[in-house]
Amino acid sequence: MKDRLFDALGRSRAGYTELRVRRIWSTSVLVRDRSVESASTASETGGVARCCSPGTGWGLAGFSGTERLDTPALQAHELSLAGASRQPVVLAPIPVREHDSAATIPDDPREVPLTEKRQQAESLAALLTACDRRIASTRVLCRDEVVETWLATSEGSWLHEVRAEVGAAVLAVAEEGGNVERALGSVRVRGGWQDGAPGSEALVERVAIRSVERLHATPVRSGRYTVVLDRGATGALVHRAVTHLARPSLPGADPDVLPLGMRIGPECVTVGDDPTALGLSASGVSDDEGTEGRRTIIIQNGVVVGHLHSRETAAAGKQAPTGHARAGSLRGAPYPRASNSFLAQGQGTLEDLLQGISLGIYLIDALACESSGDQIALRAGGARMIRHGRLAEPVKGVQITGGLLPLLGRVDAVAGDFAWDTSGARCRDGAAGVVAVTTGAPHLRLVDVAIGEGIS
Amino acid sequence: MIGRVLEAVSGRVAAADALVKTDDTLSLAISPDGETRVAASRTRNAYLRVLRDGRVGYSSGSGGDAEIPDLVGRAMTSAAAGEELDLFLPVPAPIPEVGTRSPQAAAADAAELDGLARTLLERLQRSNRRVETWAERSVGSVQVGNSRGVLVGYAVSMAGVGAVVESIGVGSAPPCSVFASGSDLPTLPEMEGLVAEVDRRLNPPIADLSSKPASRLPVCLAPRAVATFLRPLRAALTGHQALLGDSPLRGKLGEQVFDARLSVIDDPLAPGRPGSRPIDDDGVVSRRIALIDRGRVAGFLADLGVGARAMVPSTGHGWRTPNAPPRVGMTNLRVLPGPENRATLLTMMGKGILIEALEWGAGSNPISGTIALRAPWAYLVEGGRVRGRLEGVMLSGNVFEALKELGGVGSDATWIGAACLPSILLKEMSVHCER
Repeated sequence: MKDRLFDALGRSRAGYTELRVRRIWSTSVLVRDRSVESASTASETGGVARCCSPGTGWGLAGFSGTERLDTPALQAHELSLAGASRQPVVLAPIPVREHDSAATIPDDPREVPLTEKRQQAESLAALLTACDRRIASTRVLCRDEVVETWLATSEGSWLHEVRAEVGAAVLAVAEEGGNVERALGSVRVRGGWQDGAPGSEALVERVAIRSVERLHATPVRSGRYTVVLDRGATGALVHRAVTHLARPSLPGADPDVLPLGMRIGPECVTVGDDPTALGLSASGVSDDEGTEGRRTIIIQNGVVVGHLHSRETAAAGKQAPTGHARAGSLRGAPYPRASNSFLAQGQGTLEDLLQGISLGIYLIDALACESSGDQIALRAGGARMIRHGRLAEPVKGVQITGGLLPLLGRVDAVAGDFAWDTSGARCRDGAAGVVAVTTGAPHLRLVDVAIGEGIS
Repeated sequence: MIGRVLEAVSGRVAAADALVKTDDTLSLAISPDGETRVAASRTRNAYLRVLRDGRVGYSSGSGGDAEIPDLVGRAMTSAAAGEELDLFLPVPAPIPEVGTRSPQAAAADAAELDGLARTLLERLQRSNRRVETWAERSVGSVQVGNSRGVLVGYAVSMAGVGAVVESIGVGSAPPCSVFASGSDLPTLPEMEGLVAEVDRRLNPPIADLSSKPASRLPVCLAPRAVATFLRPLRAALTGHQALLGDSPLRGKLGEQVFDARLSVIDDPLAPGRPGSRPIDDDGVVSRRIALIDRGRVAGFLADLGVGARAMVPSTGHGWRTPNAPPRVGMTNLRVLPGPENRATLLTMMGKGILIEALEWGAGSNPISGTIALRAPWAYLVEGGRVRGRLEGVMLSGNVFEALKELGGVGSDATWIGAACLPSILLKEMSVHCER
């Protein structure tokens, strides 16, 4: 493949050409209640050629298969010359490097028979049903994926990488006396099935408990509260409220970038993104432009100090590339995207954060976190009231709404219990597509936060 | 290729069907600072389903001839672990005529797309706006065949133009997105319609509110807002959810559930729309399906798989997408128009809120129909006239409850992608206005 890619690059007439080929093998088993609904396999190969020349913009050509790699390279060059009133593309320099980490993966999911994966999914479904007699309906999806990537550029960079990951997604519907509630969750980890999907049994129990707990949870009363966010909810907030606004010039989304030097939170808030964190699903040796990833601090003690860059946005901002150019699809162009976003830990424990709160709300996980303009809405997966410094009865329908920056300004304590969250989160962002992301955070406390009306 | 795939499994399986989809997309975007990006993408996907020893197996791949043995091998492996299901594949049947391809759209090149995007850009440009426009066309083919003799192919094209317009320095509304799409290139009147819509959304000044509006008000949803509002209804009428799952409409076939002015159909035979097709991805012939008939639940959508599980015939709504099992989905959703034009609906509303577009936010539940939707494009209406734009509006309530008694249905049915929707006047909804 290396020779074929460089041969195609050699035929390109563009000033800069980049060729990426990716092959994705995947299997998925869906069990609805106790019945297997599908056990399917898929394999897709394709990629993208991207070109620019002095005085031209980008031209992109996506393709399926790998039969003729010079054709998309030539087409991308033609497209880079098409159109009118072009702005020339300038790329920040990166060291030319060669990297091959595609040796046999030790625990290859492709080696595990589909019948075994089916048994694994059926076991999880049985475990979920057995958790509580009130679990009326369940859905378990077990999925694995092996992705092999080849990347070559006309500057001489070469990358070949294989990565595998496995995961499970679980839905439980609980029913009692005509009252129906549901809960869901997921887990995704790098590697294979040797140890099952690590954390999947704990996930099943957590989802079952949450769906049953919601049967007796009362809708939250809207108002302003001191809130404590668990690691999952904190991570979702940090990803959406900070890292999304730390990416310059993303087409179709987030035109407002946090300006360098701006204070957006208290001293205890330090946020970054680390594509080099070991073993996480969004980690990698380099980004989709061949830039080595590096841990990037975005907010240091409450002040914006950095952005996540591709080569193009780095050149425009006179910064160094950070290795965050990620493609949102097989044939997509790379754009600056978050990978493993984190809130650095502070001090103390959850109990320390709860202490002194006479009436508040504890948010568990995030079902969704979305922003529009300068507003953000975070819908919690679960919640409990905090009464006199202790976790109390479950409540449902908890949703934080408010201005992005005012919300960060309400942070008043960060705990010292940092952990990465292995739920299978994905970030969808307009034309830039969908990428896997991970978040890491400790517990977080915010004061005087508006909690919306109950939606259950 | 279909023939070769089916030949490769012949004699080894009880039945099989295969599908090959190709697509060649060209897109062009002009950024607010004038940068043009041109991208092309060629895709080819093959899907195989086999029935072997009473079990169903699926595989998909990139569709090259060289990959046929791998595609077949994986489908066999999948069947060994797959669902036990009595799946009956369709036999050949007359195929309806439906327009799915325009030669002009198929032939459009980068220069033509540049012309479309630039025309729209020039028409939308104002001193206080940041405008980004795009134009796209795709051309492709769909071929479906099965071991019972079905072998059908059709050509498709799709073209669209759209814009994201941001008003600089006026409140905190998000960028305003509009688009028009169909199998042919957008016409000048269609683009003028987009320009008029953007002006209608951006031009009204922020409403001067001496007091916050009441919390429960009549609400008039414009077609683009209706598309978002009806998401729970779509889910409730479709697939496993409707026939076997926890849809609130399950088991209510024939019952009068909604206002008699509400009629909804799924229409794969509408000419030249994004969901138009003569046959579905399972090889079942397309036909119009009444879903809600004057308020009565009239039908649910199924593919072969869900149909077999629920023991009902497929309605021809099977879809296949890469790296996923087959799914049931709508083709073109149509809500039939009523007698009132927009001005009449606003007059009928008295004091209320007009919402041009809604955002499907974090607080909504597509199953129960409980919603909490942000409405960044909401307007205060008094005496039939728009008095100004409202900011920070949240619309909440239950979609199924709201559709039980409507204030009116507009005559302004408008195509928005694969949906043709009129304005709808809701008698009363919970409206929360932050500012």
